[in-house]
Amino acid sequence: MSAVVVSSVTKTFNIGRTDEVTALSEVDLTVGDGEFVSLIGPSGCGKSTLLRLIADLIEPSTGTVTVAGKGAGQARKEQAYGIAFQQAGLFEWRTVLRNVELPLELRGMGKAERKARAEEMLTLVGLEDFGGHYPAQLSGGMQQRVAIARALAVQPPLLLMDEPFGALDEMTRERLQSELLGICAKTGTSTVFVTHSISEAVFLSDRVVVMSARPGRITASVTVDLPSRDDAGRQSPPFFDKITEVRQALRGTPLKTVS
Amino acid sequence: MRKLLYAVVGLVVAVALWEGYKAVGNPDGTVLFGVRVLPRADDLSMPHLWTVLERLGRPELTGGRPVWIVVVRACLFTLGITAVGFVIGAVVGLLLAVVMERFRIVERGLLPYVILSQTVPLVALAPLVAGWGGTIMPAWAVVSLIAAYLAFFPVAVGMLRGLQSPSASGVELMRSYAAGWWRTLVKLRFPSSLPYLFPALRLAGAAAVVGAVVGEISTGTRGGVGRLIIEYSREATSDPAKVYTAMLGAALLGLVVAGLVSLLELPLMRHRRHVEVVTL
Amino acid sequence: MKWARSILPPVVVGVLAIVAWELTVSLGRVAPFILPAPSAIWRELVAQRQNVWEAALASGTNALIGLAAGAVLGVLAAMVASRFKPLTEVSIPFAAVLNALPIIALAPILNNMFESTSSIPRRLVTAIIVFFPVFVNTLRGLREVDPIHRELMHTYAASGWTFARKVRLPGALPYVFTGLRQASSLAVIAAVVAEYFGGLQTGLGSRITSAAAFTAYPRAWAFVVGACLLGLVFYLTTLLLERLTMPWRTRLIA
Repeated sequence: MSAVVVSSVTKTFNIGRTDEVTALSEVDLTVGDGEFVSLIGPSGCGKSTLLRLIADLIEPSTGTVTVAGKGAGQARKEQAYGIAFQQAGLFEWRTVLRNVELPLELRGMGKAERKARAEEMLTLVGLEDFGGHYPAQLSGGMQQRVAIARALAVQPPLLLMDEPFGALDEMTRERLQSELLGICAKTGTSTVFVTHSISEAVFLSDRVVVMSARPGRITASVTVDLPSRDDAGRQSPPFFDKITEVRQALRGTPLKTVS
Repeated sequence: MRKLLYAVVGLVVAVALWEGYKAVGNPDGTVLFGVRVLPRADDLSMPHLWTVLERLGRPELTGGRPVWIVVVRACLFTLGITAVGFVIGAVVGLLLAVVMERFRIVERGLLPYVILSQTVPLVALAPLVAGWGGTIMPAWAVVSLIAAYLAFFPVAVGMLRGLQSPSASGVELMRSYAAGWWRTLVKLRFPSSLPYLFPALRLAGAAAVVGAVVGEISTGTRGGVGRLIIEYSREATSDPAKVYTAMLGAALLGLVVAGLVSLLELPLMRHRRHVEVVTL
Repeated sequence: MKWARSILPPVVVGVLAIVAWELTVSLGRVAPFILPAPSAIWRELVAQRQNVWEAALASGTNALIGLAAGAVLGVLAAMVASRFKPLTEVSIPFAAVLNALPIIALAPILNNMFESTSSIPRRLVTAIIVFFPVFVNTLRGLREVDPIHRELMHTYAASGWTFARKVRLPGALPYVFTGLRQASSLAVIAAVVAEYFGGLQTGLGSRITSAAAFTAYPRAWAFVVGACLLGLVFYLTTLLLERLTMPWRTRLIA
């Protein structure tokens, strides 16, 4: 069963008004189980809109979205996915641990159990010593890690990420990318990852989906198969080849399209 | 337009509450455990609103001028006092803010006292500075001084916030233009403080009205609407509607001052963002 | 050394101001009814400490009851208003208008509506004055929710009540306290000043006026000092409460 199936989805905002805009037009996308898919494209291409459709934060104008075989709305109610945004969006009045506990709390999980789970998640992102801190006491990179731990807390089969590393500096970014890959490998989570960084998309993904703007649609899909996903992988020729390929796809002069 | 509608709706609700309570409330108030927890609803304590309106048209004393003229005159008198106090307070507040912005050491030494001055009821001094009236300054000036005292604070704090609001990059940009302190103040700090200044001025306007009304009452200055409230409330047993006419006047004064202060910002704030100013 | 940089300047300014005041009065032979010397005020304060204490207790009780009533009403009203959008839109400009009125002038009317020997009128005036800053600030806080938090709670399929309890209310707390800070000093000012409008003669306000009427100016000033201390106690207590309620806030005053 596929983690996500988006079929012929169109999303139009402000229908019938003068500022009507078609954000997505006839988009099809399938994310396999355990697959890591990046969405990349110029601003306004609807990559965030697509992610929000999968998360059921907005509804498609036409077409259907299924997550793990269920409708997107049903999947949301069952917390079948975890989500992280560009801003960490932590609750400043909760400690780090209680932030991670929140989605479990809303599921009605018992106190002791959710504390154990949250601590486990914090260990996963390397913040086990900071559970008692308040978000304001953490750096931006640490806050983003807490947000990822929170997204993983319900152990969802699907992870949705909207430029989660966009506001971080390059060094922190690369470290978190490696950590994210490790976590995904360990938990077997499928991931949809929105980014505007070509190298980030190529390094993280099994497949990079390239989108174009006005109207937003998918123009290319580049399968990535790196020898290794570590610092050596970042230096390998296939890595640079794929970067070139994605860049050309973005410019609309495709050498070859791999689907 | 919509705001006007809301104001009318609010007014209708207020009138309905007043007359409604008068209709259902116990004329002698509701007493619980020996304490009157709800006010008396008889005509002496809560006259019908039309009685109040009608009272406006009748003479203040037999054969005298109609009440509404007396009230309007008193309001104009208090408006003058308020205006003087507002201007003094605003100027002092502005200067204080500029000096505090210029010299960090002054800010550190003075700002705690500026904030302190608002957390303590220094306006309680009003009866004491009454002695200044007629000796070192005219009586009305004392009231203006009290109004100014209440008005300076929001301006000082709001303006200081505004002067400090430009980003470090903005300040550095001015520095790269070799602009001195004065030119940075005029070209950068003043313009960026405007969104902070106007809300502060509105607060100052309201505070100046309160200061003028309280000042008139506690210094015993005659001629203003504050004094009128006290005089009329003493006649409440024989002429209950009268004190409400003075209250209407005070409310009108508050609205007029708020309106005048808002007029100040119209030409300057058309294309500006609005910020919330928290002064305390 | 950090505290010295922030504590020292105000202390120096304070000491200099008092010395300058003392010198101006004693060297300039300023009449006491214009301005008594700080030393004279201090002597009176020590001599009258029992009276000052009792009057402060009376005014403080009025201020506290008015503050509590007004604040609770303000928060509740804001919660109701935030639930209904039209109500929010009506109430914000309306509260702004009412706030521009000299509400304190209601005191004599309330004295008539109740009785002049009751403490209710001035507590009521205090409550009304306190209501507005608390209401306006709380409402602002309840309306301002981080859009990310909104989306996040949506992805958790959280109900409206859960959302209010876990996000809206804690998020509004800093705003509530902004309102309470303003309200705490307003409460003391209102409770003291309301006494100038007649009514029961037990608090600081009436002591100040009666001392001034007897031309006992240093004594009147001593009561003013009492009023200042009362106001300070209210303000600092609110700050402390704020600190305790919101441990995640590192700065005291934003």
